[in-house]
Amino acid sequence: MKVRVRLIGQFMERFGFGEKELEVPPPCTAGQLAERLKMGRLDKVVTRRGLALGPDDALEDGDRLVIAPIFSGG
Amino acid sequence: MKGWTGNILRINLTRQTFKKEHFDEAFARKWIGGRGFALKILWDELKPGVDALGPDNKLLVVLGPVAGVPMPNSGKTIVAAKSPLTGTYADGNIGSHVTIQLRKAGYDIVIFEGKAAAPEYVFIQDDKVSFLPATDLWGKGTFETHKVLEGKYGKTAGILSIGQAGENKVLYAVVRSMEGRAGGRPGIGAVMGSKNLKAIVVKGTKEIPMADPKAMKERGLADLKTVGAMDKKSQWSVQGTNAVLAWCNEMAALPVRNHRHSQHPEAWKLDGQRTSEARVATYGCPHCTMRCGIAILDKEGRESEIDYENVGMLGPNLEIFDLKQMASLNYMCDDYGMDTISAGATLSWYADAIDQGATRGDFKFGDAERAKQLARMIALREGIGDLLAQGSLKAARKVGNHSEAYAMQCKGLELSAYNCKFVPGQALAFGTSAIGAHHKEAWIITYELKFSERGAYGRDKAQKVVDLQRIRSSIFESLPICRFPWIELGWDLKNYPEYFNVATGSDWTLDDFTKTGDRLYALLKAFWTREHPDTDRTADYPPRIYFDPVIADKDGIIAGKHLELDKYDQLLDHYYDIRGWDKRGVPTRKTMNSLGLRQEAEELSKAAKVEQDVVPMGIPGV
Repeated sequence: MKVRVRLIGQFMERFGFGEKELEVPPPCTAGQLAERLKMGRLDKVVTRRGLALGPDDALEDGDRLVIAPIFSGG
Repeated sequence: MKGWTGNILRINLTRQTFKKEHFDEAFARKWIGGRGFALKILWDELKPGVDALGPDNKLLVVLGPVAGVPMPNSGKTIVAAKSPLTGTYADGNIGSHVTIQLRKAGYDIVIFEGKAAAPEYVFIQDDKVSFLPATDLWGKGTFETHKVLEGKYGKTAGILSIGQAGENKVLYAVVRSMEGRAGGRPGIGAVMGSKNLKAIVVKGTKEIPMADPKAMKERGLADLKTVGAMDKKSQWSVQGTNAVLAWCNEMAALPVRNHRHSQHPEAWKLDGQRTSEARVATYGCPHCTMRCGIAILDKEGRESEIDYENVGMLGPNLEIFDLKQMASLNYMCDDYGMDTISAGATLSWYADAIDQGATRGDFKFGDAERAKQLARMIALREGIGDLLAQGSLKAARKVGNHSEAYAMQCKGLELSAYNCKFVPGQALAFGTSAIGAHHKEAWIITYELKFSERGAYGRDKAQKVVDLQRIRSSIFESLPICRFPWIELGWDLKNYPEYFNVATGSDWTLDDFTKTGDRLYALLKAFWTREHPDTDRTADYPPRIYFDPVIADKDGIIAGKHLELDKYDQLLDHYYDIRGWDKRGVPTRKTMNSLGLRQEAEELSKAAKVEQDVVPMGIPGV
């Protein structure tokens, strides 16, 4: 299945892209996606339509996921 | 006493006199420094109801026990006074060479009293204080003022100054330093202007007292490298704080059009990637390991130093998506010396009030050129600028026609750049911030999404707000020190008490700071209550329009969402219950006594009703 991944801030700089489409084998969870992106160990927030996903939450075909570092405000 | 100098410099501007006073170790350990010192001194020395812009208000410049040492990101100075915007205690932290120079001059605290007969600046050099004419500087912006004084006193001199906004007592004028740093959002710059004090220059040559100077130097130099390497590895500084803009837009937490919308398709034009690509220079505070000041060229070709809050408030909040125009507006606010957050929020309130038919005018959202004209008029108090110089709440009360509902402020201070219509915990953080709506007190949006349920009003969110207010108040505002290494880089929080211990010879843990944080927050709210004896829980509400379905986004990921008043009230009950405050939001005598505020509770009871203890509120689930 295909998902779109949008990285925020320093993740863009570290992983070299802002947004791209990925082909992932179903079933796939948010945690598995992070591992696939080599982001498993990083403190982060993974969201879908403005709501956070836990590492065991299943992804669906066509999902757009936003992955951001932890902020403390501007 | 080690860590603290133990010295207060009291300067009377009316009489052009000064004297050195001392505080003891018990005072130091009870109040730590920075905000703690300033709050206690202003509580003791200001009469309730004092005119914030009159000679009887006092302006404080305050440091703490780790100021001036090579600890990562420790270059912060606190400025404090009673605010003309909120009518209560106010402070701000600024990165400045004053942090180092004032400690080397031998002081932790400077108190400015009275009012100079004519514009002047004060030069503090160790034990000498000079009162110097500022006639040639008066009327100049902060950039030129800084350059003139830096040319005269050198690049490492500590310099604080105000621009025309402070001189003209714009109620959200700030104090500026190092050409890019600003602090004192609730009008501390206006207080400085009301005293005819254009600038403060400091140079010192003494040793800073440390319990273990060798250990401090070794650890500090090692950690400067460690935290610097953490930043380099994480690449946080590439986009700096403006990385938050893209995330807020994705999360529908961005202030757009005076918070009427929470996302905008053109927001990307101002995001961290764009500002990083446009960067021409980077700036930081003394002892900084993660320089967050990203300078870009504005429409007029000037260097404009931006961070997320000013981009958010002067960009999408005003529907200005031309990066260079936004940067011009930011440059003007910086040069005039006025807070970009409150300036953006007051301008957006004005455009909204015109839109809603509450008042007449010729300013529309997205009109960058008119916004720049208005910024100038505010700073010089010309025409409509005189009204807008009073901030959104006071302006709305003058205009009437229900426009107060969409003045986006709490306790008179405008919200930083976060749209709270679907993040109730952050609405609580703004509502209960005792100096008015400021993100530096507590910011929990990441927590709300990751560790809680976004739209929920659970007790855990009230607890998180309290936890952050404790830590930020006692550690980051009182040591004082920058918070970025802790959250943004994950530098362990336990480092801060450890540095405090090396400086002062103590054995404090985080629990000691937590208790002090509770003491500070109780006294902050007592200060508010003493100034506003009829206060009630509505003082801790976010802007009213957040509760109105009219504010809900019509489309997008949070379409139809807005805050619910009955649930917010429950969240507030949880907050008061955790704090030991009554249902009006006033600390009880029992709570204040337990925090070592017996004398202050007695004082407060002369001005306002103080309950003995909390009456159980019957909160569901507790």
